[in-house]
Amino acid sequence: MTSVLKVDDIHTFIGQFHILEGVSVEVPEGSITVLLGRNGAGKTTTLKSILGLTPPSSGTITFNGEAIHGQHTHQIAAKGIGYVPEHRAIFRDLTVEENLRIAEREKGDLAKRADLVFDIFPDLKRLIKLPGGNLSGGQQQMLAIARALVPDNRLLLIDEPSEGLAPVLIEQVMECVRQLSAHTTVLLVEQNFVMASQLADRYTIIEAGKSVMSGMMAELVKDDEIIRRYLGAT
Amino acid sequence: MADYWNRNRALLITVAIAFAAIAMVARGLEPKVWLSVLLSGVTLASLYFLLAAGLSLIFGLMDVLNFAHGALFVLGAYVGLSTSANPRLLFNTLPLFLAVAAGAVLAERFGVHLWRRVHTQARRRTLRWVLLVLAVGAIALSARGFPIRRINAFNVTAVGGAVPTAEAQEPLNLMIRRVALLFLSGLPFGLVLAPRERQQERPRRPAWQTIAFVVLLLAIGLFGLWARDAGERLVLGLSVDMRFLLAMIVGALAGAAAGTAIEMVLIRPFYGNPVTQLVLTLGLSIAFIDLIEGVWGEEGNPPMWPPSFFAQPCRSRSLLAWFTERCRSIDVLGRAFPTYRLFIIAVGVLVFVAVGLLLKRSRIGMIIRAGVQDSEMVEALGINVRQVFTFVFALGSGLAALGGVIAAPFLGVYPAMGSIFQLQAFIAVVIGGMGSFPGAAVGTVLLGLARAFGDHFVASGLQLPFLEEPFRGSPAIAQASTVLIMAIVLLVRPSGIFGKKE
Repeated sequence: MTSVLKVDDIHTFIGQFHILEGVSVEVPEGSITVLLGRNGAGKTTTLKSILGLTPPSSGTITFNGEAIHGQHTHQIAAKGIGYVPEHRAIFRDLTVEENLRIAEREKGDLAKRADLVFDIFPDLKRLIKLPGGNLSGGQQQMLAIARALVPDNRLLLIDEPSEGLAPVLIEQVMECVRQLSAHTTVLLVEQNFVMASQLADRYTIIEAGKSVMSGMMAELVKDDEIIRRYLGAT
Repeated sequence: MADYWNRNRALLITVAIAFAAIAMVARGLEPKVWLSVLLSGVTLASLYFLLAAGLSLIFGLMDVLNFAHGALFVLGAYVGLSTSANPRLLFNTLPLFLAVAAGAVLAERFGVHLWRRVHTQARRRTLRWVLLVLAVGAIALSARGFPIRRINAFNVTAVGGAVPTAEAQEPLNLMIRRVALLFLSGLPFGLVLAPRERQQERPRRPAWQTIAFVVLLLAIGLFGLWARDAGERLVLGLSVDMRFLLAMIVGALAGAAAGTAIEMVLIRPFYGNPVTQLVLTLGLSIAFIDLIEGVWGEEGNPPMWPPSFFAQPCRSRSLLAWFTERCRSIDVLGRAFPTYRLFIIAVGVLVFVAVGLLLKRSRIGMIIRAGVQDSEMVEALGINVRQVFTFVFALGSGLAALGGVIAAPFLGVYPAMGSIFQLQAFIAVVIGGMGSFPGAAVGTVLLGLARAFGDHFVASGLQLPFLEEPFRGSPAIAQASTVLIMAIVLLVRPSGIFGKKE
């Protein structure tokens, strides 16, 4: 199995704070890999470092066999990485359609992928003319994920899609992530361990800025001791 | 209905307040007086708007408060004046600017090869300072003895007046030496701007394209020098209208070019550091005005000739009659109103519609609207948002300079002409909501009206029902009225009428 993304021992500073002190993650092609860990462990910063939003000061990041660390964010993203940030970050003043169209890398991307996008997110079709700001939280989350699907991305970075959503909506969003993983590789950050364990194939645990463990999800769910130690949940 | 109310609340409230205010002040005013004061207000608003549109977009997208915006307005006015009255100045200076740009472009493209050989941070810092000193030194050397005053002595080549003689030109060989020296001074500038590492490189044009572009820039400059006498005669031989049109185009382009240079050289290295940018633009505005005084003198110039459409010494009965008569003023309900001011209003409306369509309909407009909310997310979609920053800076600067050109026949051209307009434009942007384009339009209209009605009441007094004599404000009240409006709006809506950013 080849890796789409390989993060090797990155260190990231924000201001003078040493946030990541050695994170390594490997994301195999076609998998859903989840980053686990407590609040503030550095999961979100890991995603941002991959994209160059908080560029790592040392370590290497390889995407599709090409070193991407040190490049500009827009260059990294244009290589085929989609990003669904925390708090969704959809554009409130743009209509749903514009929110999707702005993600096009080439003219006609949306037309080409419309079937796939509206197949996974049928709700968006009837909201297409509304401003993004008028959507409910769940709809905004769907839109943020749909936006990342418009260009033909090889990897999606999805940050806490369940955050702030009602349980019934969480189920829905997770189902969508499961569906889209048939088309692309996913690196997910998720606090909700039950959800994460049902969805992901592989995991990496980040503790205080270091990646401490990784492996197959199927094995992790059997190991109560580790779950308690690093995640504080059962 | 409730949905409609929620979505357009800001607009509806504004319209209601504006109506209430106009109705209130209109009581006791004759309709003809009322209408011409209203039109004067909209004229002012139009000029404010040309500044405020750029200020608002630049702030919204990049969080930069551009204090140099008023200076760009002045630059536009002077360049416009020179284009129509004394093109000799432009023909003799354009090649110099192009030479610096050509050198900078060339060195920026290939500079990475130099920086890769310099490894330690300390050495890089030293090299950067050495390069900057070299560049500034070369510029000073080439500017030495440049006869700016002599070239500028023809500031008042009147319509149909004598074309300056060729003998007064700076000798061609001296000019070419200056061009060469400035090309060399552009090289270290470009090196300073060049990427330090191969990995930071932007996706770039192939080398031959850069070289072709540099050659083209130099060729245009040298051609301009070679053809400067013929070009000058050509421009001065044009009709007043064509010269004015040329002045608008050249003035706006000069502003856009200056804006591009400011963004690339001074603003770009400091994104995420707004205080530095603010102080830089503030310093720049002072330096800019000093430079303008150095080139064009401190005295100021009388109003530029307006196009012939607004110049005949008569008074047209109606707009239709004006089209054939081209009178200086037009009859508004029995009162004379200068037609040139209608032109200013038309330009403002045209710019509002054009920029509005650009924002609403084009892809770059969509990116700008998205970037105003979250430019980091735009970049994470794979869009080079820095390029969009430069575009918006150039657009805003060009509009400010265009405002300067069309204000020139109305206000005259003098170094301080921009300061009051910049202040009012800032206030308008704050009132309308930072970063909101319709907000900038609404804010400027409010301010323009307040200013015009304020001035009117200072001049002729306000008839109040319980007073015998009309109540007269001091001139300070008219000036304070705009700040008062700002205070009231901010009390009610702290982020401005259309504001969303906190």
